Amino acid sequence: MTKEEIIEIIKKHLKDNLDDIDIDTVSADSSMRDYGANSLDMIEVVSATMRELKIRVPRSELADVQTIDALAAKFLEHVE
Amino acid sequence: MKPEDVLKFSLADFTYNDSDGVLNPPEDFNAWIQDPRVATAMSFFEQPLHNSPKPRTELSGGHLGKRRPVINLTSYNYLGLSTHPEVVQAAAQALMHYGVGASGAAMLSGTFDQHVLLAQELAAFKGQDACMLFSSGYGGNLGAIQGLLQKGDVLVVDSKCHRSVVDGATLSGAKMVSFAHNDAASLDETLARHAGKRRMVVVEGVYSMDGDVANLPALLDVCDAHDVPLYLDEAHSSLVYGETGRGLGEHFGVEDRIGVHFGTLSKAFGGVGGFVCGEASIMRYLKCYAASFQFSCALPPAIVAAMRKSLEVATRDNTLREKLWANVRHFRSNLIAMGLDIGESTSQVIPIIVGSSGEQLIELAMAAQERGLYLQPIDFPAVEAHSRRFRISVSAQLSAADIDEASNIIEDVIARPLGLVGAA
Ligand SMILES: Cc1ncc(COP(=O)(O)O)c(C=O)c1O
Repeated sequence: MTKEEIIEIIKKHLKDNLDDIDIDTVSADSSMRDYGANSLDMIEVVSATMRELKIRVPRSELADVQTIDALAAKFLEHVE
Repeated sequence: MKPEDVLKFSLADFTYNDSDGVLNPPEDFNAWIQDPRVATAMSFFEQPLHNSPKPRTELSGGHLGKRRPVINLTSYNYLGLSTHPEVVQAAAQALMHYGVGASGAAMLSGTFDQHVLLAQELAAFKGQDACMLFSSGYGGNLGAIQGLLQKGDVLVVDSKCHRSVVDGATLSGAKMVSFAHNDAASLDETLARHAGKRRMVVVEGVYSMDGDVANLPALLDVCDAHDVPLYLDEAHSSLVYGETGRGLGEHFGVEDRIGVHFGTLSKAFGGVGGFVCGEASIMRYLKCYAASFQFSCALPPAIVAAMRKSLEVATRDNTLREKLWANVRHFRSNLIAMGLDIGESTSQVIPIIVGSSGEQLIELAMAAQERGLYLQPIDFPAVEAHSRRFRISVSAQLSAADIDEASNIIEDVIARPLGLVGAA
């Protein structure tokens, strides 16, 4: 699994959770917030991605993560 | 989960249940919550009080278990009305007259003369046309927001708004977006991004985890510029702020610019229930469409009678409010003198911010318990992971001696271990 593959999974779940998002314009250097995600949407995207990756990363470790890229990097550390 | 990872996890991590059946909680949650270290942290929840929520009361549970006397810094009884003799007397009289329950939802059999009178008195107090009562503050926000908004609308909330506001948005089908806490520029940008939609902004008077207050004049300027109404949750500011206790709107002299006024009866009022005040036409509509109003039993009449007395006692003069604010000044200056971090608090809600270590927070909390202080730790995810804290709810009931005794304990069990005082 590469970070790019994880970013694609995050984007897929972002699209599932936000009605008015054009997924092709999403940059991994942005925050989900920049595309209108609220705190509930972000919990949903993070949970769905972790389930798909079969990992459980403590939320307290994600508190400082600012971008989709950083989130994917964090997940990658936990993927076997 | 490896044993060394247990303390990295929190209640934020188990909302998803991967087990086969809905009645089987997640296996790793079961293991986590039974770990002795987690069990100790969880033991701070639901500790039973054995006496009234006064400054000196009795508690059991927690890691100590046994029933013991404590100094109570945790109850929301800001003005002491929950135990005020006149309020208790009003409740007792009404209890004998009306019995225990309302035995119905407000629209059918649950409205008593007491409900009608309290609603009228609250509306008059807030200078509004009309008021509706809810069985809880949570239900009030839930129902009012669900009833006012619909799919296609946008609810713009301060990022620190209460869960009841968030859940109201979810139930309404509206899109919820947040702006940076108390930041007028961020609000402006957020409203502009959703221009053209029906929008409403929600902010709180006093924020319950931080004790800071909404910067209403600046936020209202932005709302007015976008022609979007403001819904103000005065859960922690009702009867506390303003010359006559009407809340933060009165404090800033901006009440006539607020679209919907929300309050709870569970904090300074000393009882239970929620209320929403506003224009008659809005209240008339909301009564027909707020589900938590329509489909839940009305407040017990004895509680309603007691809340009428609370309102009377708290507004006939400023004695209790002045006592509260004197106590807030006293407690704040003690805490600041110890070098403790009380964040942006300017109200009767005063956090003591400890930092990012959950383990340390719980160690300090245990030491406070052992010294007879009832001071709840507030851990992630209720607050951000880097600012775990204690939270003091100052009450008018505290004597100066109570405050000094509590401060001495805080100095010994929190300030010293944090390395702030005591080197000398
Ligand atoms: C800001 C805010 N709104 C609403 C509520 C809900 O009120 P209640 O506890 O009376 O249901 C609370 C308290 O929990 C609160 O802090």
